[in-house]
Amino acid sequence: MPMALSQSLPGGQVQRRDRFRKYMQAFNPTASAQDVIDAGLVFENLHRSLYLNLAGRADLEPGSQQLLVGGVGSGKTTELLLAARWLRQQGNALPFYIDITAETDLSALNSGSLLASFGIHLASWVLRSAGLSKENEQEIKKLYTKVKEYAYGKTERVWVPYDDAVDFDDDDYEIPEGYYDTRKTPGKLKVPLPRLLRDIQSIREPLEKLLGAAWEIQKDIVVIFDGLDRLLAPDKFLAVVHQDLRLLRGLKVSVLATGPIAALYGVGRSIADHFDRVQHLAAIATDSASSFLQTVLEKRGGFELLSRHETDSVCHFSGGVLRDLISLARDSAEEAYISEHDSIGPSDVEKVVQQLGTSYLRGLGPAEIQTLKTLDKSRSFRVDLPANVELLVTRRILEYSSTDFRVHPALLSVI
Amino acid sequence: MPEFSIQSSVDIARRLEIRGSDSRSWVVLLLPSGSSDTALRNLLGDLSSLLQRPTRVFDLRSSSFEKLSEILHEPEDDIVVLVAKTNLDTERWSALDLMRSGLERKGPIILWLSPDCVPNLSEQAPNIRSFVGGSIFYVGPDGGLMSEADRQKRLAELVQFYGLSNKEVVNRAQAKTLPSEPHFVEWLVLLGRGDLV
Repeated sequence: MPMALSQSLPGGQVQRRDRFRKYMQAFNPTASAQDVIDAGLVFENLHRSLYLNLAGRADLEPGSQQLLVGGVGSGKTTELLLAARWLRQQGNALPFYIDITAETDLSALNSGSLLASFGIHLASWVLRSAGLSKENEQEIKKLYTKVKEYAYGKTERVWVPYDDAVDFDDDDYEIPEGYYDTRKTPGKLKVPLPRLLRDIQSIREPLEKLLGAAWEIQKDIVVIFDGLDRLLAPDKFLAVVHQDLRLLRGLKVSVLATGPIAALYGVGRSIADHFDRVQHLAAIATDSASSFLQTVLEKRGGFELLSRHETDSVCHFSGGVLRDLISLARDSAEEAYISEHDSIGPSDVEKVVQQLGTSYLRGLGPAEIQTLKTLDKSRSFRVDLPANVELLVTRRILEYSSTDFRVHPALLSVI
Repeated sequence: MPEFSIQSSVDIARRLEIRGSDSRSWVVLLLPSGSSDTALRNLLGDLSSLLQRPTRVFDLRSSSFEKLSEILHEPEDDIVVLVAKTNLDTERWSALDLMRSGLERKGPIILWLSPDCVPNLSEQAPNIRSFVGGSIFYVGPDGGLMSEADRQKRLAELVQFYGLSNKEVVNRAQAKTLPSEPHFVEWLVLLGRGDLV
């Protein structure tokens, strides 16, 4: 029975589209975490309010260094942003949230990069702060310039004296004592160069002075480095952070940083030794705490299109990985929309689970698939093997605790 | 071995449309075997018509990261297609993964890849793969143009749903009385009258 044009133009279809659109906007797996928090769509207790632990410790112990470890899509950025918000609300500490991967090419990072980035944020904040005297403002501007040169490099004209050995034949010629040359000093945030500790020390003085100015306005400083978990290899991670963290500890700046999941296992454990505390953001087990995942969907208005049964399916096949949960909820609605359904049905969820499972499956060889099958059958998994750590890093295997490992349910459904 | 689903360019456009213009979407489209530049042109044509937004294409293999980040943000709301007709090496995928935050933008990013890219994407770029999720599709031959049977089927659905004939839709579009609702844009494109959109 066709819809009457008067009823459907534009009302019926527009209503349907608006309903789906509103749902899709609430379930956007690639939305900025800050936007999602601002929109009130975050279930803050998802990880038992881990952000409060992180922020509380940073607040109570100036100079403490905490590492937040979790798999891809587990919600690390959200926890860090919630921690920053809490610190701001408390008013005792000033948090600087820095997504280092958004600011520079992480593959080119080296020692000094984190300090350079922190210095830029700190100096900008001090300059923007009210109450600076004219004299102080000039001083801060000079420090800002120093930090910027450290970060981005500098080009300057320098006087270069000639070597005494230079021989001029013409006795009447007035021998110049030197010449001007252009020298370029590369910065921290662009070109990868090996650096010495001495080089790190050169940023210490401007940072100390900037912190002094900041401490006159705020009590303590907390710097939050997000994105460092992308440095999957432990040696690369340590090469970037080791010296910077030492200096920040000496400056009594509290640090929260994300780290690769490899930090929990095998050779990666050496990373943990550099931090006062390591917090693990595990996947959320769907059997023991499924109501947590249901609440995430409910908070975003999921029941507008999802029935109770489909909600359970989406939660189960997400494996408790936050981004996969949001992706499956979004993709199911997309599938229903394309198929002209009015709400999400079992076939819609089934299709998107297969899509997600297949994306995890690609790239796996017979040996790895056998490892997955063995794990599923016997719950046996050797986490000390590098190949197995790879399976954790790429989320084919999910870690629910230090002894509870399982195959991602969407992947399991296609092997 | 399970396969990714096959989608027409019209369906890809409908997916992007319902996600919203600032959905920050990441979608992987896998090239049909023996695909030519015509396939990509067909896809771009349909996306432009159906989404009413400009498209740009860049080679994922040769663009430097600095350049890539720059072009994705100037502007950041059109449709960008990043092309890799042959597989990238593992270092390139790893480096792309590291800079995912630098690539994020309001408008959609479509990765137009050869199917042999997917293993490396999953293995070397877990952060990008996580953003893509299950949005990996094969496009049909000729850039996902619908088969004639599918086109007729879809047109019949629209005719039945709205109680309008194809001719009436064209007449209304010519008289500029057809709503700009996406179904009607799709309808006109399926009738080969994208010029009336």
